Amino acid sequence: MRRFLGLVCVLSVQVALHATVIVPIEFRELVIAAPVILHGQVAEVKGGWSDGRRSVETFVTVAVAEYLKGDLGPTVTIRVPGGQLGRYRTIFVGAPEFQKGDEVILFLNHANVAYPYIFGLSQGAFRVLADSRSGQRMVTTPIVMGKGGDVPERIVRGDVTRKPLPIDGFRDAVRQVLAPRGEQ
Amino acid sequence: MTRAIVGAVTVLIAALAYAPSVDAYLKLGTRIGTRIANLRFNTFPVRYFVTNRDVPGVTAPQLQQSVDRAFASWSAIPNTGVSAQFAGFTGTSPLNGDNANVIGFTTRADLDRVLGSTSFTVDTVSGEILEADIFLNSTFQWSAAAGGEPGRHDVESIALHEIGHLLGLGHSMLGETELAGGGRRVLGAEAVMFPIAFTAGTINRSPRADDIAGLSDIYGNDQFRKATGSISGRVTKNGAGVAGAHVVAFNPATGKLVATFTLSEDGAFVIAGLEPGLHLLRVEPLDDADAASFLETSFAVDTNFKVAFHNRILTVPRGATARDVNVAVVAK
Repeated sequence: MRRFLGLVCVLSVQVALHATVIVPIEFRELVIAAPVILHGQVAEVKGGWSDGRRSVETFVTVAVAEYLKGDLGPTVTIRVPGGQLGRYRTIFVGAPEFQKGDEVILFLNHANVAYPYIFGLSQGAFRVLADSRSGQRMVTTPIVMGKGGDVPERIVRGDVTRKPLPIDGFRDAVRQVLAPRGEQ
Repeated sequence: MTRAIVGAVTVLIAALAYAPSVDAYLKLGTRIGTRIANLRFNTFPVRYFVTNRDVPGVTAPQLQQSVDRAFASWSAIPNTGVSAQFAGFTGTSPLNGDNANVIGFTTRADLDRVLGSTSFTVDTVSGEILEADIFLNSTFQWSAAAGGEPGRHDVESIALHEIGHLLGLGHSMLGETELAGGGRRVLGAEAVMFPIAFTAGTINRSPRADDIAGLSDIYGNDQFRKATGSISGRVTKNGAGVAGAHVVAFNPATGKLVATFTLSEDGAFVIAGLEPGLHLLRVEPLDDADAASFLETSFAVDTNFKVAFHNRILTVPRGATARDVNVAVVAK
């Protein structure tokens, strides 16, 4: 018998959410720190038991359309905390969830681990969706990037300059950060 | 007790709890079949273990004392019945699948920007939560000092946030940040459930109005519901609902802020647990953070609109709801 039978779920109509405490990454820092940046489509999502542990993790295979930085080959399998295996589900709050067919831009790290992982947990995962009106493919999460100077810049919610970018614009933003200083 | 009986009890409690549920604030949940199940405790005290492992700056007993104080801060919220009990030290780690609620430090190379996180293991057939763990990342510098320490993260502050999750709370967006020195830092937060970490050395050990409203919305009794009020309405753009809009109620008499999001594509929202009286309502886009940190990504979060206010001051009634509070926003 399970030892913690007092814990039960209550069925309701709320929305599933995520949660954790993160050390924030500014976009410029993210581009510079992540050794691999790829754009691709999720080809497979598979749950598995974690190494040496008894919780469930998810192995996400991405068919890579292009690398904006680094190169790990035509397909990459990354490991994401949490997932489902059979009837058991581990919810690692704060970890992004993927479905087969998702179009994504991922900032990855692969130092000292068997599988690459998303840099900064959900901070390094950007979704690409078609705009409902124009059909243009947009990176849905607006990027938070400063001017790079020494003067602090307050982030104002609703800033009209910060909105979802077309995928080409996102690509340009990454390349702008990666370009040698004289070329910016 | 057999598993079958436990399952029956679960279903019974679920059925009883369904009717009075208020669709407000952000709560943790997961899919059970075709429904979303809230993650919450139905019996108290919550029994928890603490890892028997010291890290630089925090011994295992200091961690336990910090966790105990953090639980006490949540338990002090009236009319909720929340309580916790230390069950002992353990040699196991969080995230270990041992059917015990474990709180402690561990090292994970793949969680390089995560100070702490809460995880749940759920049986998706019965809806039973098998365990809930809190992981604190030992690769960071920590402190249990009463007044905090420069350059070290305050373990009680982070434990308070994570225990909020363990009790079922999602994230709050009531915080402000700035870009400085090549990074991002928090200027201030009106909720311990704000997900972005303060600069190391900062203390944030007291639940705010938003946290209190959220916990009370999950566990509050009739007394709480009779003493507080709600605002409900819709956020629209070009006549259509806006999903994922951040809706903030401000009480000018007390300065308190309580917020929620529109949680569906019809743009509907409810802010519950408000003190009766006058409130201003502001709607803003979730355009400065990763939406997946707040909301399920199964619906498209709209971040492309300007900040807007409701066009009149609202009166929140005691024990009732100010309804049809609709705010139209325009694209950036």
